[in-house]
Amino acid sequence: MGAKIPRNFRLLEELEKGEKGLGTEACSFGLADSSDMLMSDWNGTILGPPHSVFENRIYGLKMHCGEQYPDQPPTIQFIHKIILPCVEEADGKVIPSKLPCLANWKRENTMETILIELRRFMASSQCKKIPQPPEGTTYN
Amino acid sequence: MALPKRIVKETERLMSEPVPGISAVPHEDNLRYFDVEIHGPSGSPYEGEPPDNLRLRAANYMHTPFRGVFKLELFLTDDYPMVPPKIRFLTKIYHPNVDKLGRICLDVLKNNWSPALQIRTILLSIQALLGAPNPDDPLAADVAKDWKEDENRAIATAKEWTSKYAVPESK
Repeated sequence: MGAKIPRNFRLLEELEKGEKGLGTEACSFGLADSSDMLMSDWNGTILGPPHSVFENRIYGLKMHCGEQYPDQPPTIQFIHKIILPCVEEADGKVIPSKLPCLANWKRENTMETILIELRRFMASSQCKKIPQPPEGTTYN
Repeated sequence: MALPKRIVKETERLMSEPVPGISAVPHEDNLRYFDVEIHGPSGSPYEGEPPDNLRLRAANYMHTPFRGVFKLELFLTDDYPMVPPKIRFLTKIYHPNVDKLGRICLDVLKNNWSPALQIRTILLSIQALLGAPNPDDPLAADVAKDWKEDENRAIATAKEWTSKYAVPESK
């Protein structure tokens, strides 16, 4: 068994990757409060995939990494209104049981894994034509 | 894979011959992950002083002087000792070489790391950094700026943060 990276050092790694923009261009993320030593709350964005109703839209998300992260997945919530089978209509919360990377969470998964999978889900044939609320509207 | 001998040895020595003013204790469920405490060096703004209500009591217990106690966490990756330990402050600290998330700018943690160094030497270097802040090689740009513009004021702020945050837990 190799070294098991503790939560905080894992989050620092993810932060550095996000800060340096080493990840994919279509998704980004960073700390909600740059002086939060607990590193619990994060902001993410997803650029809507091409050839879908989401094209050219930028979706903001809130992510919360609890004390048990990465043994437990973070909670994810869309800030901008979106209609997707894996998202609660009322408040934009992502339903873990309906997104495979959350339902079958592995310790190696990262916040970026989730954002990329959400974007792929948006581009899928079952989702890419779902009529969407006007661009830029948010949950309260 | 068992814990490498080198880490076992280092841990044993940290416990049997602790460095004055420094402690490092591995987590029971992750022997590569250490809880660290470093006392602020005397004569530095991180030395700490008891809040007024404790001053009298401290005077009555001269053998247990009050000290600024800074908590850190340290992790040895699979590549240790080919790469340095990962380490950061958990206690808020006002220091030009430590950023808001507790990350530390120190040469031996970056380019000047050598496998001949150890957990012990790194912790001593960090303790020394507390005694000798280096605003010319800053990680926290705003703190370094304060430090250069008005050193006395910066030292006063560092002292204030020390008595506010670097307080030992009452047992």
